[in-house]
Formats: sequence, C-alpha cells, structure tokens
Amino acid sequence: MTSTAQVLLSCRQVSKRFGGVVALDHLDLEIGRREFFGMIGPNGSGKTTFFNTLTGIFPLTSGSFIYDNQDLTNASPQQVCRAGISRTFQRSRVCLGLSIFDNLMIGNHISLDRGIWSNLINRSALYHQIDEMAERARLLLKTFDPKLAGRMYELVSNQPMIDRRRIEICRALISGPRLLLLDEPSAGMTDREMRELMNNLLEVKARIGDLTIILIEHEMKIIERVTDRCAVLNFGRKICEGTYSSVVENSDVQEAYLGSKNARRR
Amino acid sequence: MSSDILVQYLVSGLMLAMIYALVAVGFTLFFGVLDIIHFAHGDVFMVGAFVALASFLSLSAAGVSVPVVQLLLMTVASIAALALLGILTARYLVLPMKGAPALNVLLMTMMLGTILRESVRLFYPEGANPKAFPSLLPTNSIEIGEISLRVDNIIMLGFGAATIICVSLLINRTRLGLAIRAVAQDEETAKTMGINYTLVVMLTFAVGSGLAAIAGLISGLYYNEINFSMGLLLGVIGFSAAITGGLGNIYGAILGGILFAGLQTIGAVALPFGSAYKDVFAFAVVIIIMTWRPTGLISTLSSERV
Amino acid sequence: MSRFFHRKLSVLPSIIALVVAMAYLALILHVETQSMIIALLTGGAISFFLASRFDLVSMVRQSYSAHERVMDILTALAVVAVSAVYHENSFVLFMMATVLVYVIACLGLNLQFGYAGMLNFAGAAMLGVGGYTAALLGNGQIQTIFLLPLGGLAATIIGSILLPPMLRTHGHYSAVITIAFNLLFTTFLEVYSGFGGTQGLPVVSMSLFNFNFNEDWQLGSFQIAFYANYFLLGFVLTIIVMTVVRRIERSWIGLSFDAVRLDEISSPCFGVDIALWKAIAFMSGNFIIGLAGAFYALMLGYIAPTNFSFSDSLILVTIIILGGLGSIWGIVLTAAIVIILPEKLQAIQEYRFLLYAVVVTLVLLFRPGGLLPRVPRIYLPGWRP
Repeated sequence: MTSTAQVLLSCRQVSKRFGGVVALDHLDLEIGRREFFGMIGPNGSGKTTFFNTLTGIFPLTSGSFIYDNQDLTNASPQQVCRAGISRTFQRSRVCLGLSIFDNLMIGNHISLDRGIWSNLINRSALYHQIDEMAERARLLLKTFDPKLAGRMYELVSNQPMIDRRRIEICRALISGPRLLLLDEPSAGMTDREMRELMNNLLEVKARIGDLTIILIEHEMKIIERVTDRCAVLNFGRKICEGTYSSVVENSDVQEAYLGSKNARRR
Repeated sequence: MSSDILVQYLVSGLMLAMIYALVAVGFTLFFGVLDIIHFAHGDVFMVGAFVALASFLSLSAAGVSVPVVQLLLMTVASIAALALLGILTARYLVLPMKGAPALNVLLMTMMLGTILRESVRLFYPEGANPKAFPSLLPTNSIEIGEISLRVDNIIMLGFGAATIICVSLLINRTRLGLAIRAVAQDEETAKTMGINYTLVVMLTFAVGSGLAAIAGLISGLYYNEINFSMGLLLGVIGFSAAITGGLGNIYGAILGGILFAGLQTIGAVALPFGSAYKDVFAFAVVIIIMTWRPTGLISTLSSERV
Repeated sequence: MSRFFHRKLSVLPSIIALVVAMAYLALILHVETQSMIIALLTGGAISFFLASRFDLVSMVRQSYSAHERVMDILTALAVVAVSAVYHENSFVLFMMATVLVYVIACLGLNLQFGYAGMLNFAGAAMLGVGGYTAALLGNGQIQTIFLLPLGGLAATIIGSILLPPMLRTHGHYSAVITIAFNLLFTTFLEVYSGFGGTQGLPVVSMSLFNFNFNEDWQLGSFQIAFYANYFLLGFVLTIIVMTVVRRIERSWIGLSFDAVRLDEISSPCFGVDIALWKAIAFMSGNFIIGLAGAFYALMLGYIAPTNFSFSDSLILVTIIILGGLGSIWGIVLTAAIVIILPEKLQAIQEYRFLLYAVVVTLVLLFRPGGLLPRVPRIYLPGWRP
C-alpha cells in the first residue's frame, strides 16, 4: 500500500444511487501520487459513475473525495478542474465543428486570458498568447502523432476515430493537470494503435513527472502492461485491489467476469 | 360574486382548458415520437375549424339541414382532412428532415404554420375577415338547483372530456398506443423489435391532428366565430401548456392546458382592469414556473449518457 | 473540402465578387417593373446556386479573408457609393437603413444564439424596449445620440429578468420562455395606455451638434434626402457592431461561447463557467438589439407595438438560421434579402408572407447549412504561427 504522505486521492465510502439503482456502493480507494492506476470491471460496475461523481457531474449520495488534502466532495466541475483534475469521456466528446487547436484550447480554458481588453481592444497580447498556446499544443500533439500536429487547424470532423481519441486526451492534458482520468481510451482501436497510444501515454507521464493517471479499460493486456496497481469493481463495489497479476488470480474477480461455474481453477 | 357569474367563469374556463388540452396533447405526442415541436399545430387547428365551416356551408347548400347530421358530417370531414394533412406533413416535410438540427425542423414547422395561415387568408373566400360559425347544438338552459347551465356547453364539455379519455386509452391500452410509446422512448429498439417507424409516426400525426380538429370544432361552436389568425396564439399557448406540464407526458399536457386556462380565468377575474391583462399574467406565471421547474411540472425521466 | 489559409491567394476573386454584388444591388434597387425584378431575382438565385456548386463562393470568401483589411475598406466604400447613387431617393435610403437595423439586431441575436446557443424568440421585444426607451426618454433634455446606448442599457436590464429561467433551461424550454415574454411584452404595450397603447408614441427627431437629422440638405449641387443621415449613422453603427462581434468570435471569448453551445456537459470539466458565459452572451446581445431598436425608433419618428410582435422575432431568428448559424456575412446577405425583396415585389405584396415561408422551407430542405455558412475560426486572417 502507499504511505499517507504519498496519497493523492482518497475515496471514502463513496456511494451513488440513481433512483433505485445503486451505481456505487461504499467504495474505498486510495490512489498514490504518480501512480498509473487501473480500474476494471464488467459493464455497469460503476467505473464511469466513479469518474462522473469525482468530476462533479453528478453529486454523491454519500461518502467523500479527498484530493491532495482538499475536500472535493460534491465540488462543481469547474472547481475540480482548477484543483488539477482532468478527464476524457467514454463516449467521445470532442467538438466536431471546431478545429483541433480550438478543441485543445477549450481544454486549456483556465490558462487563457479572457478579459475584454486583450480580446477586443488591444489584441497584441491575445496574438502573443495564441502563438504561445499554438506551440504548446503542437508539442503535445507531436508526442502522440507528428502528422496530427501538422493538421492542427483542420476540423476534428475530418479526423479518423483514433485521432479523435488522441485529440481528446491532448485536450485533457494541455492544461497541465496532476490527475488524469481516462475512460476507455482504446475503444474502437486495433492492437497496434492501442500499444502506440499507451507508449505515448507512458512517454508523456515520464516527461511531466508529477502526473497521476487513473485508467478505465476493458483490454486486460493494457492494464497488465502499463498500470502499477488496479482495482476491480462489480455492482459498484470494490471486490479486489492490487497489482494486475495478483488481481487476476482472485476468485471473486474470476467469478465476476466469468460466472461461478466457469471460474478458472488453477 | 353571485353563483351565476361564478358558474359562467367556470364553464368558460373549462371550455378553454379543454381546447388547450386537446391542442397540448397533440404537441406532446409529436414531441414524444419525433423530438420535434410542431409549431404549425395551432394553425392546423385553425384549418380544422375552417374545414368544418366549409362543410357546413356545402351541406346547407346541398339541402342537408338537420343539425345532428350536419354536425356529424362536419366532424368527420374536419377530422379526416386534418388527419390527412398530418400524415402528409409527417411523410413529406418532417420525416425527411430527421437528421437535421432541431432548430431547422422547428423553423420549418413555423414556416408551415405561416403557409397554412396565409393560404386560408388568401384563398378562402373573404379569408381575411372573421367568419361566423353556426351554433348547431341546442341553446336552451337547464336548471340545477340555483345554477343554470346551457345544454350546448354541457355537450361540448362532455364531448371534449370523452375525447381526451379516448386518447388516453388509445395511448395506454391499445397496441398502436404501445407502439407510439415504444418509439417515443427508444426509436432504435422499437425499430429492431419490428415496429414500422414511419407508419407509427404518420399515425401519431394523424391522431394529434384529429384532436386539433375536434378542438377547432368546439372552438367554433362555442365562440361562434373563427378567423385565420386564431391558430397562432393558440399554438403558442398549447405549446406553453405542453412544456409547462412536461414534454412527452400526456397527463402533463392536460395539466398544462388546465393550468393555463385557469391562469387566464383567474387573471380576468382577480386583476384590476382584469381581462386585458390576463394573457400578460398567464405568460408571466409560465415563465416563473419554468424557472422553478426547468423541465416542466411532470418531468419526464430522460438523461443523456455521459 | 477546400483548404483554407492560402497565404498567397489572389485578391481578384473577392474584388470581382464585390463589383458584381454592388452592381446587382444598385440595379435591383433601381428597377421598377415587376417582370424585370422577377427576372433579376431568379437570375441572381440561379447564379448563386451555381457559384456555390462550383466552389466559387468559398473561393471568394477565402480570397476576402486573405486580404481582409483591404476588402473591408473597399466594401464599406462600395456600399456608401451605392447609397450615394440614390442620394435623392428617400424610399431606397429608408429601406437600406432598415436593412442596417436588422443587421445590427441580428448581430446581437447572433451572440446569444449563433455563438452561445441560447435560443431567443424575444429579439423583437428587445428591439421594442430600445425603441420605447428612446421614445420615453427623448424629451429634448438629453442629446439624442445618448438615447442609443440608453436603449441598449434598458434592453439589457429588462432582458436580465429572463436570465434565471434562461440559465436553468435548455432548447425547447428556453424557447417557451422567450416566446412567452415577447407575447407578454406586446400585450402589455397594447393594453397599457401610459405607453400609448396600440397607437404608440411619437419619437423626438435625432440631432447631433445642431445638425437636424430630419432635414434634407445640400452637398454642392446634390440634394441629399434626410434618410441619408440615418443611413450613414446606421452604417457607422453597423461597422462598429460588426467589428466588435467579429473580434469576439476571433478570441478566447468566442471560443468560450462555442464551448457552451457545443457541449454543456464536458465544458465545465475544463473550467468553463456555463452560467457566466450564457449571461454575458445574453446581456451583451440584448444591449446590441436594444441599441438597434432605439436607432430604429429615432429614424421612424414614432413607435408602436405592431413592429415588435412574435412574428418579427421569428423573422430575426430566420435571418440567422438562413444566413448560416454564426455567420456574420450570412446575416448581412439574408437581412438584405428579407427586407428588400418584399418591398420590390409590390405586385405580390399580398402573397409575400406565403412566398417567404415557401422559400425558407425550400432552403431548409435543400441547403440547411445556410447561404454563407460559418467558416472555422481564424484568429487573425492570413495568420499561421
């Protein structure tokens, strides 16, 4: 386990009900600083709801989120963003009608100077910031795909699905968050694309240093390769936690995925 | 206030409520199956009234003079005409615009309303002037205790209420109603389950427009006058009623209709300089209600998957 | 799809287009015989249709964008030149000034609707607020030029009544609120005798530093009809508003509006304060609309509720959608068409609403993106860091 000094995010007894449906059931979780943490579990086990409640889209029914000694329970999405948490979405949510650069700049909203003077009257400061941001965006995109960086002013609607996923991840990274939440980024990708994406992520993480990542994934190969630790959810409850190899041996986990009759026996 | 005047206000309020409810239910049905606001619905109501009038005049000219027969044929004619109009609208204007942004569809239905309105004004003989609508129901009153009620009002209220009940039964107890509800809730799955989407949409438009026909007929009989622009305000009121009640919910639409009529009546009675400001009052309350309950009084549970 | 950012793109296509457009405008304003007008209109429509089919329209737009400073000045001069041709023609000048009123109002509506996605069917009501403010406050004490921003301010203040419901609702529900408000507004004005009721109120005539706007004057040997004064003032206002709105679009402010319009669920996760940006869009949009309303009232010399009904709000919304949501030049083109066309086709005056509705329906079915769809954001024309 991680020592308390190294805990970045502490989730205590986190619960969420939607009417009669229990999406999260007294979840206890601790994520350490700079960890690459995986979250797995069958469909409907509460993983995305976990992200949605953490980022303030839905309020918690009970429980708390303590992030870097700050109580972020039921904070607004804007407050969560300012605290340094950023995310992608399970259903790709990029703005198709805008350029790649514009999409990234939406992600960069808190760093932008939105005052009337520099935007409307004396625009030299604006142009300066645009140049600066364009450079930042280009560098980030280049990490994932140099060709993508070259197409920075094209519309997102003209980009293939895998590039849209990359764009969405870059949008989440551009503001320099310290905690990145990725929701099934590899959905719809081939093996090779997935491997590429994960390499890029590891590269980014190594370069930034103080970056913690929570990754929701269905592809076990990815979890195995990139994560330090992971947690398994089922029906909103955490049924197991640890390194991938230890988790995969757990009979509860096997039962959750395969059903009790088919639980693999060693 | 004497009980007589009270009863008068009550009856006129109920009549309004019913007309609004009939139109509002149409709005909510269209929204349910297609996620559109059919802005021309009010003008469709107006066309129904004119079709009824035109049938009456033709029947009279042809020598048919028994009121019951006239009324029956007028009802059939306007329901049939509007149902046909509804089907054509669905098939050739609304369904082809399925993928378009919702705003474009809204705008197009507004244009359709303008076309209907202007067509009546231009092409119906003397369309620009208000037209007298015959009163075909018995106009005598009956006494219940101290209160006297006009028979025609009772009949119309009864007929309107029966229509609403029938529609409610149609939606909740028949296979067509089930199909409509299925499509309203989840179009993809409904199609996968073998429901003929296009047919259901056309039939929904037919039913909604049929309701407007009845509303138009009742309106003509009650006020004894129709004019080409009566659909616009009514359409907005019907729309407001459907939304205030909660879009997609029939009972919400009925509630919204009753509410709006109630607000107008209360406004007419209670405010100083009363009836002039009744619309101002009613619309102001609608705005306040929407602030308090942004998705309507009876909110329909639909959420976007995040 | 044509690539944008041609740095070396020639200025020729846009100059040719400007000359053709201005010639067409001058011609159409001049011609009186109905058959000629119909021929011109049909010809114009077909040409435009063909031009867009062969990508000529986008070529012109890129050419314009690559040389924007120069083209802006040339266009401004060209418009003034066309108006100068009609220096004695009150009717034409009044019509052109009315087009400007609608352009300014729609630019305000565009901030709310085209950029921030707030559906607003009370645009005409806000015009009315500006107009009635000019009527009520214009009593000879205040310099009439100040009535313009005062009208805008009144519209902002009264419009802010709608902020609580507007911020809490979306889509159709927002629409009801603004429709209800517009109806409420016109009904109130018709009934309340203090503001003139259905007859309306007279409005003081505009004057600036002893120059009376309501008098014809002479420039050398040229007679200038007094509506030219209003046209020129309106032209200056239009340029100012267009510049402001264009700069808004080409800035982080415009990007924030887009974020609000395109995704209200994910944008907050990036720090975008949805309520704040909606409020900014709504209030600044109303200011611009109110400004246009005050100007319109001063030009008309009177004001009455009939000009500010729900149908008029509908026309404003139609202009924005037909021009191309969020497109500034689309607004200019469509406003001109919507105002000038019905006036010229006098023979079919009776049928003009019907024809208008049919044409709009056709455009919606066959060219839903609008006449001049909005182009992807360029922060500075010709820029590439």
